[in-house]
Amino acid sequence: MNRSKERLHSILSQILFVVLVGACWETVAKLKVFGTKSDLIFPPLEAIGRAFVTNIFNLGAGTSFWVYIYNSMRLLLIGLVIGIGLSFVFTGLSMISRTFYYIYNLVVSIFDLLPGVALLPVVIIIFGIKPAVIVFLIAHSVIWPMSRNILDGFLAVPVIYVEAGKNIGLKGVRLLTGVYIPATASYVISGLKVSWARAWRGLISAEMIFGIAASPGIGFYINQMRTNLKNAEMYATLIVIVLIGVIVQYGIFAPIEKYTVKRWGMSK
Amino acid sequence: MSERETVLKISHLNKRYQDEGNPSGNILEDFNLEVKRNEFLCILGPSGCGKTTLLRCIAGFEEFEGEVSIEGKAKTEPDTDRIMVFQDFNQLFPWKTVEKNIQYPLKQQGVQDKQTLQRITAEYLEKVNLPGIEKKYPHQLSGGMKQRVAIAKALALKPKIILMDEPFAALDAMTRNRLQAELISISADEDCTFIFITHNIQEAIVLGSRVILMSKNGKIKIEEQNTIARPVTPASEGYARMWTRLHDALEE
Repeated sequence: MNRSKERLHSILSQILFVVLVGACWETVAKLKVFGTKSDLIFPPLEAIGRAFVTNIFNLGAGTSFWVYIYNSMRLLLIGLVIGIGLSFVFTGLSMISRTFYYIYNLVVSIFDLLPGVALLPVVIIIFGIKPAVIVFLIAHSVIWPMSRNILDGFLAVPVIYVEAGKNIGLKGVRLLTGVYIPATASYVISGLKVSWARAWRGLISAEMIFGIAASPGIGFYINQMRTNLKNAEMYATLIVIVLIGVIVQYGIFAPIEKYTVKRWGMSK
Repeated sequence: MSERETVLKISHLNKRYQDEGNPSGNILEDFNLEVKRNEFLCILGPSGCGKTTLLRCIAGFEEFEGEVSIEGKAKTEPDTDRIMVFQDFNQLFPWKTVEKNIQYPLKQQGVQDKQTLQRITAEYLEKVNLPGIEKKYPHQLSGGMKQRVAIAKALALKPKIILMDEPFAALDAMTRNRLQAELISISADEDCTFIFITHNIQEAIVLGSRVILMSKNGKIKIEEQNTIARPVTPASEGYARMWTRLHDALEE
């Protein structure tokens, strides 16, 4: 009873907030508070809505909006898989070799602080203006936070699991996959969330800086709309970006948590 | 196999921790022990006497000087011939169901047939009086149930020795008594040697076919065969005398 009341409270206050912000926006837009620039900064909500619907249902001319989304998501997925895969390999090696652990720890600390976009000039020289650059940036933005989380997780694995594992004859790689990795599940999941967010941002930034003719993505699309002063379309795209984030959170991460750490009683 | 066969032999075992606040640093000094096959050895001692360290050396979790040998073979690493049951309730892998917790070590030993695995799981869960909980996750079990599953998991591996480090110490008195009774009947059925550590005199007398009392630096103060007729209760002939003897030695 109390919980449903609290839920209602949270939903109502959030709806109220969104409605209020919308009303303020619309007022500012209609009064043209910013004069001639007003339509660029605060395009009316109906224009944004119209752009949104046009994009989603592919009513406009030219390349379908979904092609941009597809291009972005494809590169994002490749980058994520490479980044996550490598972070498991490197953190795994760190658990097997002490020397590797010390070095990798340093490498993670250094590169975690380096924004992927700052590496762009060098990466472009290496790969040319190709989708590989985006994949590289995404992998870069994923591998370090993911590695940091996995390493922290490995260090926090209760000794009793490790000893129970050794006791049943697990050693080396089998101890890693049989005990360390599942025992680190909650760290891995929070690493995935951070990595996803960084990858998503890295992707949009990189695409906004340069478009790849062979594979134009959402960031590129936003930039195009900006160039053409189609700011309602730009805002509509921002909404799509947020929506994709929400879908990933509730459609991917929430189920992963439900079927792993929550089911195992390792997280509330 | 004869009753007299030695399964575990510990000779000149020395263990020290340099960094502890222990002046000599010695936990165990020239410790010697022989355990016969199918014995139920209870090791009794005050906190800090080195009984847990001893068990961990036998299990291969600690480095030590001297020799620990199982059926004549020197051992320094953990292996499935000696399975530890810890005091901590959280010794089962939380990411595996009860069934998978029991089957995983068996699979590592090369048992792959699904029906065999299921049969073994059911058999040992039956032995610890927890039939039908195969699909539960450890966090859905009470402390006593977790310890029973840990015992079932250990038994299913058919080790030569089961090492028990105060597995019932954190349980309430009633559950504890029930688990003691279960363990007695299990140990009578199984071809397995038990080494059970406790600081509870009653527990040592009820469970042990032999009782050892350890004091500082792992010195063995009392060592005796438990001749009290089973099942042992406080009303058993000889219980009071044995209890007093152990109690007085512990107090000294």
